[in-house]
Order: sequence, then C-alpha cells, then structure tokens
Amino acid sequence: MIGAGHGAGGTAGPEVPRAIRRRLADQDLTTRDRVVRGIFLVAALVPAAMLLFLAAEMVDQAIPALIYSGPRFFTGQIFTFGNLYATTESHHNGITAPLHAQYGALPFIFGTVASSLMALVIAVPVSVGAMLALTERVPWRLQSGLSIFVEILAGIPSVAYGFWGILFFGPFLAHDIYPSLAHVLGFIPFFRSPVGAGEGLLTTALVLAVMIVPIIAATTRELMRTVPVLAKEGALALGMTQYETAKVVTLPYVRRGIMAAAVLGWARALGETMAVLMISGDLVNRFPANIYGPFSTIAATIVNLLDSALTDATGTGIHALAALGCVLLLITVATNLLGRFIIRRATGGRVLPIGRGI
Amino acid sequence: MLLGALAIFVAACGSTPTHHKAKASPTPTPVSTGNPSSAVTLNEAGSSLLYPYLQVLAPAFNSAYSNITLAAQPGGSGLGINDAIGKLVQMGGSDAYLSDALATANPALLNIPIAISAQAVNYNVPGGPDFIKLSGGVIAQMYEGKITNWNDPKIAALNPGVSLPSLAVVPVRRLDSSGDTFIFTSYLTATNSAWSNGPNEGTTVTWPAVSNELTANGNPGMIQVCHNTPGCIAYIGVSVENTAIETGLQEAMIGNKSGKFLTPNQSDVTAAVAAAAGSTPSDLRQSLIFASGANSYPIVNYEYLMVQEQQPDPNTAQAIRTFLSWAISPTGGATSGNLSAVNFVALPTSVIPKVTAAIAKITG
Repeated sequence: MIGAGHGAGGTAGPEVPRAIRRRLADQDLTTRDRVVRGIFLVAALVPAAMLLFLAAEMVDQAIPALIYSGPRFFTGQIFTFGNLYATTESHHNGITAPLHAQYGALPFIFGTVASSLMALVIAVPVSVGAMLALTERVPWRLQSGLSIFVEILAGIPSVAYGFWGILFFGPFLAHDIYPSLAHVLGFIPFFRSPVGAGEGLLTTALVLAVMIVPIIAATTRELMRTVPVLAKEGALALGMTQYETAKVVTLPYVRRGIMAAAVLGWARALGETMAVLMISGDLVNRFPANIYGPFSTIAATIVNLLDSALTDATGTGIHALAALGCVLLLITVATNLLGRFIIRRATGGRVLPIGRGI
Repeated sequence: MLLGALAIFVAACGSTPTHHKAKASPTPTPVSTGNPSSAVTLNEAGSSLLYPYLQVLAPAFNSAYSNITLAAQPGGSGLGINDAIGKLVQMGGSDAYLSDALATANPALLNIPIAISAQAVNYNVPGGPDFIKLSGGVIAQMYEGKITNWNDPKIAALNPGVSLPSLAVVPVRRLDSSGDTFIFTSYLTATNSAWSNGPNEGTTVTWPAVSNELTANGNPGMIQVCHNTPGCIAYIGVSVENTAIETGLQEAMIGNKSGKFLTPNQSDVTAAVAAAAGSTPSDLRQSLIFASGANSYPIVNYEYLMVQEQQPDPNTAQAIRTFLSWAISPTGGATSGNLSAVNFVALPTSVIPKVTAAIAKITG
C-alpha cells in the first residue's frame, strides 16, 4: 500500500483511497496541466507507435518476396536477384521477379545465429571472470578506475572494431593463432585447415565478443554489488576460500541476472552490421567451409546487396531484402523478450541497472 | 511547371531543343559550355573502375574551370545507377549501360560514355607462369565449378609446354552490384553456351554454386582477396591493373573471337573499339564485348556517366555539360597521358557526335 503511490508522485500523508485521490487531482488541473499531460501521453506512445510502424512497414514490404519464395525463403541456400538484363522474367505464385531470381536466406540465418552465439560463449566467461575479480579482489579504490575502461569499451563505434579486425586482429589470428588451433583441434572436422586470411566466422565471433563484453560486464558488476555482504562474510567466516565463496554465494545469487545480461549482449551481437560487414568475408549461397571460413549475416547482407536490389526494375529484390530484415527483427525481438522474461524471474520485478554504460 | 521550365530553358540557351529526327544529321550539336557564374560542385558516385580515372581528371578540370569542382566517390556501378536515378548525385559512374527495364523506367536518364575501359583476368598461382592463355569457355567452366584444379587438361591444352601445379581453383567474384561483373559475364555469355543459358549477363547474376568460391567488394577488394588466396582467379578492371600486378597477381591472356590470346594493352583495346563502335546507337547503350578482328581484346566497354536530362538549375546543367564535353575532348581531359595513367583509351571519333548530342540534352 505504501509503495502504490510512489509512481504517481503522491505526497506522504494520510492515506486516501486511490480513486478519490485521482478525481481530486483531475479537478485541480489547470488547462496548462492538461496540455502538458496530453503532450506527455503522446510522448509516451511514440516509441510503441514507432516500433509498430516499423514492423508493419517491413512486413508489408516483405510479403511479395515471401509469396514468391514460399517456405523456400527459410530453407533455400541460394540468394540471387536473377538476371536484371534479361528480356524475360520469372513468375512465381503471381509475383514477378527477374529471370532466375531465388531468395533463400538459410546461410544468412545460420551465420547470424552462429556468430552471435559463438561470441556469447566467449564473452560470458570473460565478463563474469573479470567482474568477479574486479568486485572481489581488486582494492576498492582501484575498482572505479578500472570500471571506467568497461564503459569506454562500450562506447567505441563498431566501425573502429571492424577496422581493427580487418587490419590487425584478423591477419594476426590467421598467421599466429589459427594454424596452431587447426593443428591441435584438427581431429574435429570443422576446425581443420585451411585457416584462410583472417576474414571469417571465428574472427567475427571474437570481435563480436569484444564488443559485447562491456554490456555483459557492466550489468554483471552491478549485480555483484547487490550480493549481501553478510552472506559473503558468513561464508568466509566458515573458513571458505575466496574461490569457494564466489562459487557458493556470489555466482548463484547473480546467476539469473547474468543470463539476462547475456541475452541482451546476444541481441547486440545479432544486429551488429558494420564490424561484421568488414570482417565476415561476405560469403553468399553457402555455409562456411570451416570455423575460420568466410560467411555472412543477415545485417551485413542487407547492406551488401542493397545496390543490386535497387537496380532490380521489378522491385522484388527490395522486397527480398525487407524479408531478410523481418527475419532479423523477429530474432532480435524474441531475444529481447527472452531477456526481459529472465530479468523478471530473477529480480521479482525490481529494476536492475541492465545496459548501463551502453 | 514543366512548361515553365522549358520556357526558362529556351530563354536561357537561346536555341530550341532539337527533336530526335534531327540527330541523324551529321552537323554537330552545339553545346553551351563554360565556367559557370558561381561555384558548382559536381558529385559523382559509382563504378570503382571509373573512379581512378575521375581522380586523374578532377585537378586538371578544376584548373581549367575554376568554378567547378568534381567530387568522385567509388562504390560500384549499381550505386552509380541508383544514385543517378534517385538524383542523389549529378553523375552516376557505371561500366554497364542501363538495362532495358531501367531505361524504359527512366527515359530521361542519359548514358554518356567518356572513355573506353577493359578488363583483365588475373590469377594467383604461386610458382606458376606470369602469363597463361585462357579462353572464355575455360574461364566459364572455372566459375561453374567444372574445372576445379589449375592442372586440369583443358587449361593444359591451351598452354602447351607450360607446367601448372596441382592447386585448387578459387573463383572470386564481386558481391556488390558491379559493372565489372556485367562486362565479365557478357564475355562468358558470348563465349560459352552453358553460361549463356545459365547465369547469363548482368551487374549481378545467379552465380553457379562453387564449393570454394569467394566474394569481394569493389576492384580493390578483388585484388585483396585474390592476393590472399592462392589458386584464385579474378576479373579486375584495367584502371587498377597496375596495382594488381604490383601485389603479385599474374595476368591471363584472354581468347578473342579470332582465337588469339591477348592481354588488355592499349592497341588491342583500340582495335576492339574500332571494330565494334560503329554500331553504337544514339542512346549509346552498346556492348563492345567479344568484338571481331584478329587483334581485338575481348573484354572492352564504355565507361558511362549516368546523367539526368533535367537539372535543377542552369548553372548545374552548364557545369555538367562543360565537364562532359571537356572529358571527351582530346584537348581537354581525354589526353593520352590521362588515359594511359589508368590504361583507358579515348572514345573513337565516330561516336563523339552521338555523345555530344546526348550532352546537349542536359538542361536546367
């Protein structure tokens, strides 16, 4: 009952039933108040309206391509706008497209999910380990200083990561790391050479991991600060080592929160465009030959193929890219909702500083 | 609105626009050119093959006409065509002319050739010879995945006495919408019936799925990927061919219509143009691929700037007319020094009147 009034800005005083208090407030309103309230209402509706408008427009644009390809849009491997200079056209399910046009998105869907999941698998242990060390071991005075670096890392534009990836990190991995990796893990077919030139799935996943570490780390750090000191001190008093305390007290306490942070980091990796565009190797119509090989994602492909699609006089090419966009929108919205659901369950509705520093 | 614009045009230029029948007459169309009264920046975007040439022209042009600045951006011929259609730039660079469908949809977009380019086929076979002979049919089969190794008998048959190592063929192709892809696939279409019935030609085509193919963006991307990939074969515009050779790529000799194998040197490109340019129509959309003649290099094309007939103001229109007229003139931009810097050759004199007539249509 006490908490109920906080959101409405109620003053502390004798408790008045909510309905009456509301009517009183309405009567007190001047015209100016009402205008302001109207503006706030519109402002509050804008984000929802924008999302709905965007989604509706994307779906509307996507429909012709989805009708043209049918279920093959999701299962097909070949994505091509067809022969734009041909004198005849392809007709399918009542939709006209350039001769031999095919829209199959499976390799892009695979590339998007695979690269972001690999990034997640790398980024979560690194973030949790680093923040555990930072909050548990590093002297209190150094903590805030070191924390700043996490925030700075989050603010670097993705094109800078892409530039670093293609000029330095990719070639370095291809020359100095991947050959050894292929040698040691060569018994797994997907890890066998050739290791290529550094543009490909693993390099992209590693760069994406660097990009999402700040998101996961910042959230994890705030979560770890919420762990009750009494529980930790109790564990230490029982004779547990710091490692055991972290394992038995801290990590179980923040486990769900970390999962939620990981899902948010995942959503970021799914939609990353520029860095992936620069270091993916831009492979179309095929799955990567091995973990080092070139591939592409939905986001990067949309950028790469936009000019080709715009020169398609039938217009179906643009619809096909819109359909790709819809798939990406669907995947990101799903992961975002999943993250929110986990946060709810983890915190019982309390607001966590998720995403701070982004 | 349109009538008003026309009236202004008539008043500004003092001459009525000639109708189509009049173009057939041999008298050259007068083009009003000159330094505009206020500063104009001409934005160009598109072909990464044309881009180095415009970089060569820009400073020379600016010193001749101080009020006009040429700002060129690379990005692929598809970008050039799209930006010209969308009026985002005054000139869209393209190695490919407009497709029939786009030309019908955009009747007021002019295809204006300013030079002749050609395309080399490069490869990266470590320890291999600096030049090998390849026919269109063999190249098509490499891009179809039918020839998968550099020691294939079909390659050996064209190159008696040359030993090629056992090395997997990696076909590299452009991912972006590309005029280079257009002229390359036009050559394969002209020389290989399976290719003609399959992928055919275009700025982007349905490439056969080959297990180890690679893609690249722009001519610089082609050089980089091919340089990084032993066994690669790639098509690269002549304007960056010097860079390709410097990075260590080898250059193939390409089979022409007479069965002769040639590299894209200027005399063989000029021979191809002389053989093919005579049939260039007045809308200037013409393929120069696989021209007849013993010494005609087979992958040759017009370098186009796509320009809208109707410009927003007379100053811009005059700046565009001035640049284009200067660019095709042997005493302006089309000097042998400028052209040979990027391995281009000049437009043949037989098409100059048609180009001039097209330039005269640009009004504002």
